[in-house]
Amino acid sequence: MKIFPALVTALVATQAQAFTPTRPIEVVVHTGPGGGSDLLARAAVLIIEKEKLAPVRMQVVNKPGGGSTLAAAYLFEKKGDPHTIGFFTGVWLTSPITTAEAKVTLRDLTPIARLVLEPAVIAVKADAPYKTLGDFVAVAKKNPGQLKQSGGSVTSRDNVVRQLLQKSSGARWAFISFPGGGERISALLGGHVNMMVIEPSEAGEHIRAGNMRVLAQVSEKRLAGFPNAPTLKEAGFDVPSVPQVRGVVAPPGIAADNVAYWEDIFRKLTRTASWRKFLEDNQFEDGYQNATELARFYDEFTSQMRGILQEAGVKIVR
Amino acid sequence: MDIAAGLLQGFAVALQPANLLWCFVGVLLGTVVGIMPGLGPPATIAMLLPITALMNPAGAMIMLAGIYYGAKYGGSTTSILLNVPGESASVVTCLDGYAMARKGRAGAALGIAAIASFIAGTVGVLGLMLVAPPLARFALAFSAPEYFALMAFGLSMVVLLAGRSMAKALLAMLVGLWIAGIGTDLFTSTSRFTFGRMELLSGIDFVVVAIGIFAIGEVLANLEAREEPQLLPVPKGLRNLLPTMQDLRDCRFAFAQGSVIGFLVGVLPGAGSTIASFISYGVEKAFSRRREEFGSGVIEGVAAPEGANNSETGGALVPLLTLGIPGSGTTAILLAALVLWGFRPGPLFIAENPNLFWGLVASMYIGNVMLLILNLPLVPLFAQVLRTPVYVLYPLILGVSIVGIYASSGSLFDLMLLSGFGLFGYLMRKLDYPSAPLILGLVLGGAMERALRQSLMMSEGSLTILVSRPISAVMLSFALLILLVPLFSRFNSWRLRALEQKD
Repeated sequence: MKIFPALVTALVATQAQAFTPTRPIEVVVHTGPGGGSDLLARAAVLIIEKEKLAPVRMQVVNKPGGGSTLAAAYLFEKKGDPHTIGFFTGVWLTSPITTAEAKVTLRDLTPIARLVLEPAVIAVKADAPYKTLGDFVAVAKKNPGQLKQSGGSVTSRDNVVRQLLQKSSGARWAFISFPGGGERISALLGGHVNMMVIEPSEAGEHIRAGNMRVLAQVSEKRLAGFPNAPTLKEAGFDVPSVPQVRGVVAPPGIAADNVAYWEDIFRKLTRTASWRKFLEDNQFEDGYQNATELARFYDEFTSQMRGILQEAGVKIVR
Repeated sequence: MDIAAGLLQGFAVALQPANLLWCFVGVLLGTVVGIMPGLGPPATIAMLLPITALMNPAGAMIMLAGIYYGAKYGGSTTSILLNVPGESASVVTCLDGYAMARKGRAGAALGIAAIASFIAGTVGVLGLMLVAPPLARFALAFSAPEYFALMAFGLSMVVLLAGRSMAKALLAMLVGLWIAGIGTDLFTSTSRFTFGRMELLSGIDFVVVAIGIFAIGEVLANLEAREEPQLLPVPKGLRNLLPTMQDLRDCRFAFAQGSVIGFLVGVLPGAGSTIASFISYGVEKAFSRRREEFGSGVIEGVAAPEGANNSETGGALVPLLTLGIPGSGTTAILLAALVLWGFRPGPLFIAENPNLFWGLVASMYIGNVMLLILNLPLVPLFAQVLRTPVYVLYPLILGVSIVGIYASSGSLFDLMLLSGFGLFGYLMRKLDYPSAPLILGLVLGGAMERALRQSLMMSEGSLTILVSRPISAVMLSFALLILLVPLFSRFNSWRLRALEQKD
């Protein structure tokens, strides 16, 4: 067990902040330009600069490779560097569970803040016979393995939601991986698969055009954009709604006042009107947690994922 | 909306002075980005996103799209002059383009690349304007089995890329397929051939392999020739630097098929411009009367892939604008840009934002003309690069390759891979193995494996899904036909020999 810098942070947070950055900040993301993390980081940087929350410039640096593995390792190597931070997502939490080469876990880095939770909706093609999630599951139960879901990799949230639904209902359907979001949607709209778990902002336009229908939403409470679609619980499936989580981490071994400084900036960021609007435009949920809460969330999330992935037949390495 | 009225309205938008300026800035930046190996349109567009947030959306979209298709013009330059592909879509251009440069026809190759890009780019926009909605529906009919058939069709081209020995070509292709298999498996999250290196988890970048084998391998092989350093021939006079009428006649078919194939492949979200350029090159060779001369500097071998990778951009915008579905890295960023500016890209996008759509279409016609005017005068200028003596030229190639790779990935590991593949390319040359089949296997391998496994998951393990669907069956039969081409030509040469003996 390592001693969490975050715990120390909580103690010194009330003291005067000693740290201020003197060089441009390097903001590490694990996707290439245009990826989800990249866009979030660039949006955050834009708002931080606009609201003048930081005295120096912030530069997004793309370190794609091996899911999140290279970016996490890069941050780990920056040990003690006060001018580097990174944007993490759920992949940073699941990669170390399933990939031997992914040695750096979030535990080895310094948690700063959790920023957003991305809910999802379960959608089918508009002319599909299923009106509710119950219909879909019933048909899947009658014809095991016949229905198909398009999604990302086997460790993605799409598959986790499927595993949870299958386990609670006893139904079984196939999960077909596609590397790109565009291909997943094409497969559904072309009638090659029957269902997909999709981000609300992606689904919105297809629903408005009458190409897709939402059966349920993977969210604790109904989203503003989908007032008529039931949550998983309301649809009769008592499974946890797995969010896509995004937040900020820093290299290991940075000073407590440094942690406090980052925590403060991102807390201020989440309270700006521009950030609120950004969340609303993208149909994200505000998932703000401070460093201490984030560390606790990390432990819970990891053990929950480990169990789910194990049941899904994925090889667990740590 | 009526197409004529829409286009008129579009030109009204695109011809506004500010938008004309943005269009020019976009295509100019695109050309520069295309020329530089490593730096590609996705990174450039991402860097410009914060600036475009302050611009008028029509102008911003016109500029970003200009970068996208402009880069396809520039990509061929270093392929032809230095054997260093500037973009992944220009790898095939190396085969005949560099051979032409060595024969003193660099100017003609660069010129035909610009002309083919212009023709096909314009056809791509025509397609986008005229048939976007029905074609988007066609693209949806494409799923895993069809992609598998398309990739199989592409892979069958190996028999056309083979040199003297079919066995060596097939071996090289298998090495390419193996390299494509390196990395994390999408379906099981298992690491394959990573040897515990996390740098290998996401596989080996295709550009590293291509630049290593083509450029570094070429330099190493030439270092051996210890004769007097000689200059590559560059003819004097503008007239001798541009393609001749005969060249243009030779390329008629390449212009046409490159435009159509590039556009159709572009519409499919799972394919891309690299695949389009390979398929177009293969088709050109399959139908050519001088098939055996391909690879030794045939002008239509430059025109076909360069045309295809340009009309591909028009095609790739079809699913983006009509369905909100991005098919490539660049279109994914364009989608993000639209969201950033407050649009809602999706099936209703064109109907709700006719000004933006038609403005973009009109600007693409203008942009393609600008690119032609911009690129043709550069041809004589670039051709002079080859006047530099080889003891300057080869270090230059090495420098451009290394800087290009490092600039795009920032990874020393990639540089080690680059050296490794350079040595490998040198050995292949020494042992007379063709490099094109390796690249072909590498380009198609990943997508082909995924498509096969997705198909089998859809059919619960039955292979009949590959032949029971019409589009897939048709393409697989084409693949079979191509595989038979060498048999026909062998038969033909027997027949000719027999005729000679009779006489």
